[in-house]
Amino acid sequence: MISDHDIVALNVLWNRLVSVCEEQANALMRSAFGAIVREAGDLSAGVFDVHGDMLAQAVTGTPGHVNTMAASVRMMLDHIPPDTLKPGDALITNDPWIGAGHVFDFVVVTPAFLDGRIVGYLAATSHVVDVGGRGWSAEARSVFEEGTIIPVSMLRRQGTLNDDILAIVATNSRVPHEARGDILSLLVSNDTGIDRLLDLMSEYDLKGLSGISKFIFDRSEAATAAALSEVKAGTYSASLNLDGYDAPIELRARLTVGDGRIEVDLAGCSDAVPRGINCPLNYSAAYAAFGIRALLTPTIPNNRGSLSAISVSAPPGLVVSAERPMPVTARHVVGQALPDLMLGCLAHALPGKVLAESSGALWTMAISGAGATNFTSLNVALGGMGARPGQDGLSTTAFPSGVGAVPVEVAEVAAPLIYHSKEFAPDSGGGGQFRGGLGQRIAVGSRLNEDMTLSAAAFERLKSGPAGRDGGAAGAPGHVEITNGTVINDKGNYRVPAGESVILQTPGGGGIGDPQLRDRAALATDIAQGLVTESAARRLYQSAHHQQEENSK
Amino acid sequence: MVRLSVDIGGTFTDIVLDVDGELSSIKILSSPLAPEQAAIEGLLRLLSSRRVPLQSVRTIIHGTTLATNALIERRGAKTAFVTTKGFRDVLEMRNEKRFEQYALNISLPEPLVPRDLRLPLDERILADGSVMRAPCHRDIGDIAQRLREREVEAVAVGFLHSYRNPSHEALVAERLRAALPPHVTVCQSAEVANEIREYDRFSTVCANAYVRPLMSHYLERLDNALREHGFSGALLLMLSGGGLTTVQQAAKTPIRLIESGPAGGVALAAKISREIGSNRTMSLDIGGTTAKICFIQDGKPQTSRRFEVARAWRNVKGSGLPVRVPTVEMIEIGAGGGSIAGVDALGRLSVGPQSAGSQPGPAAYNLGGEAATITDAQLTVGNIAADGFADGMIELAPERGAAAISSQVKEPLGLSSVEAAASGIIELADEAMANAARIHSIELGLDVREFDLLVSGGGGAVHGARIAEKLGIRRMIVPMNAGVGSAVGFLYTPVAYEMAISVMEPLAAVDPAGINQRVQKALLDILAIVEKAGSAGQVTRKGVAELRYSGHGLDLSIEFDLTAEMGRTLSGLAPKFTKKFKDLHGFSLGDIPIELIALSISASSNESRSDHTGTTESSDQSDETMRAVYDLQGDAKTHYRVRSRRSFGNGELLSGPAIVTEPQTTTLVRPGWSVTRQDNGHLILERTAS
Repeated sequence: MISDHDIVALNVLWNRLVSVCEEQANALMRSAFGAIVREAGDLSAGVFDVHGDMLAQAVTGTPGHVNTMAASVRMMLDHIPPDTLKPGDALITNDPWIGAGHVFDFVVVTPAFLDGRIVGYLAATSHVVDVGGRGWSAEARSVFEEGTIIPVSMLRRQGTLNDDILAIVATNSRVPHEARGDILSLLVSNDTGIDRLLDLMSEYDLKGLSGISKFIFDRSEAATAAALSEVKAGTYSASLNLDGYDAPIELRARLTVGDGRIEVDLAGCSDAVPRGINCPLNYSAAYAAFGIRALLTPTIPNNRGSLSAISVSAPPGLVVSAERPMPVTARHVVGQALPDLMLGCLAHALPGKVLAESSGALWTMAISGAGATNFTSLNVALGGMGARPGQDGLSTTAFPSGVGAVPVEVAEVAAPLIYHSKEFAPDSGGGGQFRGGLGQRIAVGSRLNEDMTLSAAAFERLKSGPAGRDGGAAGAPGHVEITNGTVINDKGNYRVPAGESVILQTPGGGGIGDPQLRDRAALATDIAQGLVTESAARRLYQSAHHQQEENSK
Repeated sequence: MVRLSVDIGGTFTDIVLDVDGELSSIKILSSPLAPEQAAIEGLLRLLSSRRVPLQSVRTIIHGTTLATNALIERRGAKTAFVTTKGFRDVLEMRNEKRFEQYALNISLPEPLVPRDLRLPLDERILADGSVMRAPCHRDIGDIAQRLREREVEAVAVGFLHSYRNPSHEALVAERLRAALPPHVTVCQSAEVANEIREYDRFSTVCANAYVRPLMSHYLERLDNALREHGFSGALLLMLSGGGLTTVQQAAKTPIRLIESGPAGGVALAAKISREIGSNRTMSLDIGGTTAKICFIQDGKPQTSRRFEVARAWRNVKGSGLPVRVPTVEMIEIGAGGGSIAGVDALGRLSVGPQSAGSQPGPAAYNLGGEAATITDAQLTVGNIAADGFADGMIELAPERGAAAISSQVKEPLGLSSVEAAASGIIELADEAMANAARIHSIELGLDVREFDLLVSGGGGAVHGARIAEKLGIRRMIVPMNAGVGSAVGFLYTPVAYEMAISVMEPLAAVDPAGINQRVQKALLDILAIVEKAGSAGQVTRKGVAELRYSGHGLDLSIEFDLTAEMGRTLSGLAPKFTKKFKDLHGFSLGDIPIELIALSISASSNESRSDHTGTTESSDQSDETMRAVYDLQGDAKTHYRVRSRRSFGNGELLSGPAIVTEPQTTTLVRPGWSVTRQDNGHLILERTAS
């Protein structure tokens, strides 16, 4: 019989484990180089039990990292067995199929020892700015061109840093010191986590984590099963079309709900393509699970108990299950479309409760100097989020990613660019009883009047906008052109001649419900604020708008 | 010397009178429609009860939450925003970030200025401060015309890169002032927050313009009313960064008053930390709904220039309006006496952030509240007593608290006793506060174990010792008069003002002459403000450089001598930065260039000396009683000696388990701790167990 003291202790310990991860993530965030890690929290940090199962992770963190890392630790321990590990050791890799899906993401795993025995592991992942290869572009024909890959290796042995690993990364990186610093940050943040973990074990006089592991997994499994049982059992299908590199890609899913579990079969998706927009299955599974969990179990923390209720499968060689050596740099183009695909399936089971499609993949705006001045500028251009049941979609806000944009002033200080404008694109939000979020229009050119190169690797949904739901209209598709008349129609690299600008319009989110049902005051406000034009209002919201005019007479 | 301080909150107005260091105070209900009325009424009452004429008061120091409340309740002026053409949606796009990864239904605050009042002007300044396109007079005239037609009361002007070159903002503001009726307020972004990052700066200037008409009218009415009653001294305003300024300056940038109440509380904590000679102090203020934590080093609170007001979604970070003004750096956690305990969907014990507040309050208040709260738990285990709670103002029904805990926590968790459930609630609340403190200390690069814990608020002294144990802290201070709070803190605040200069250049490339010019100009402006506030004492000037490795996320602050030659100052910064980085991280980053992000310049007068006199109490053990307090570890009751603070003599040492009671709070001296009373009246708890 478990004592009162133990019950309370388990409750407190769960909180403390999450706090350990938060401290670990904070240590990482404050010392990271990439703006993307710092500003957007493109990282994750977690505590794992002695079997390599995830117990807790920091609330900060992107789904692509968090949910892949849950599997990384076990895979890394398959390469270097636990019984060979000693205090002061740490493992590292950036293998896309073990880590987070592309070569930029490094995972560091550090065992925690107590009285000479491993009691658990701390793991952290973050995006390193550059590891050589082609850098940020979808142009590689294989992963070998995409950068240096470190197989699962010892980054530190019994407290002594393996400088060879750092030297290999630094030698191959365009920004050697930053790359080195980012990897050391991962190591330091895990050490911070281990100190805290051992403090907690000493405070509660624990010899191991098995008691708390069982408590966390049991509770999370039960709560997840209860939440999933609210969804009508059955198999639901959905599909979604992406522009692809230069030819359309189809994503298809069959999602089966039952017995407190969800199984996702991605077998119907297109084959992998010979350019870097393919997605390894670990990253696909991470985003698919995120979409399902954000809708159905948003308050249940991430751990083995909650994640194991969802399984994602696909035969090898598809665009969602690319195998080595397919190129994978811009794997988020496909990966970040999967939450919308999952929501499409679940909309059949939960009519009226699911948001419309969002703009999907982050538009990575990679612009570099192609004239006398060498520079690289990385920012994101965000589209609209789909309308939500009972609420309009958020404008210029990414979903599923939570990454925000770098401020214009900061971007212009960092690189010789001029942003001529950055404003909402009127009428881009899909019409509906609840309107999709608006996309935006950005015009950007060189401050030096020199040629530039633009990578279009992540400009997705240029051909068709995010779909509406329940009678809502689709959001406007994206559009990118150069002022000399060049229209971007694939994911290649484009030359922006001196004196010209790039004009990007990001996609708007889909709407929900019949536009005729839109609240008239909300429509009037949209028109007064210039978010919906008069002519679009007539076209899309005709009778509602008409009635309103009648009433105002 | 006779001084007064006035702290106007949403519910209460606190007034403290200081006659040569002797304090007396009054607390009355606020008068929200005309806040100056309660202030005047209260201070006249307090003065007459002490037989002190208003004429003899040298200084009145005032802090208020009016600006904050106006932003939260959206009661500010009809405001327009004139901005760079192509960028009028910056205010609404915000950082384009979802602040909660898994919540799909988040809502964002409405921008303070709606889109149709955000007016674009064709002008452009580039990142280096050069002019790409100057604004044309006809366009400015057209905008003035539209502003008149729309009958706006306030105008904010914010252009891209104005932190680097404010000339366009100045020109446009001047023309608009000339063209608009005199009652229309016009504010420039670079004057309010001279920093890079357009959204944060624009948000700050709009918030300032939005509250300025209301605040300047209020301050004028207060000043007039005081003068009419014969006051002839200086009226100073408490700033959120922990300094004082003049009414005129406060009316110009009222956004800087935003957190003045909490800043006063921290000022008091800082003052006490100096008094007891603690050079590293963590202040923990546990109130009815939240707990606030601030780190104080060498008697100075941590400050930052980031603050968020009027959060729109479950008080989550990121859901409010950013304001970039100097603020005492504080974190707030949803854990206080009224925080509600329960069991969540996962069958886990949870505490807060929802609070029963004071209406209806904890179940034991017997005012209709049904929720089990932290206060109910404290009563149930015996940490606090029902008799004399809150100085006898609230009559408690402890059995109602126990019943709430029994049904809402004990049963669902499967615990065997209500005391165990209550213990669990307290332990989890202590855990949450300790975790927040630990994470905040990491963010600031501090080691929390090296700090003393200074507690305040109704709950600080009850929770403090256990939180200290969790953090590895070995000394805790329970100050005298902790209940009077902010208003007392105002009295110990120096006249001070701070401005930031954004640089954002590689340190090696900074032009010493150019930067020196900007620093000297800022310094002149600041000194003018500080001297106007009639500071009698010596003025201290301080320069702080914010540096980072190029591309890196962590800014480190390095203090520098404002009187030294700028070239030498700049060349001395790099080695200091590298050393500090290495101390923090254990490694440095070789030859990555170091960037100078900003210089922050401040000036402050010496602290107003007004040490309150210590009281000498002789020990009187005759009132000692015993109380049984439940202990979860042993699942049994431990007997605590109970003494009133009044009877606890100077120099007497009491070993835990013991309880020291006083009207507004209870100090829990857990086993393994001892407590003594210092001559200045503060209780010092020391951890005796290893």
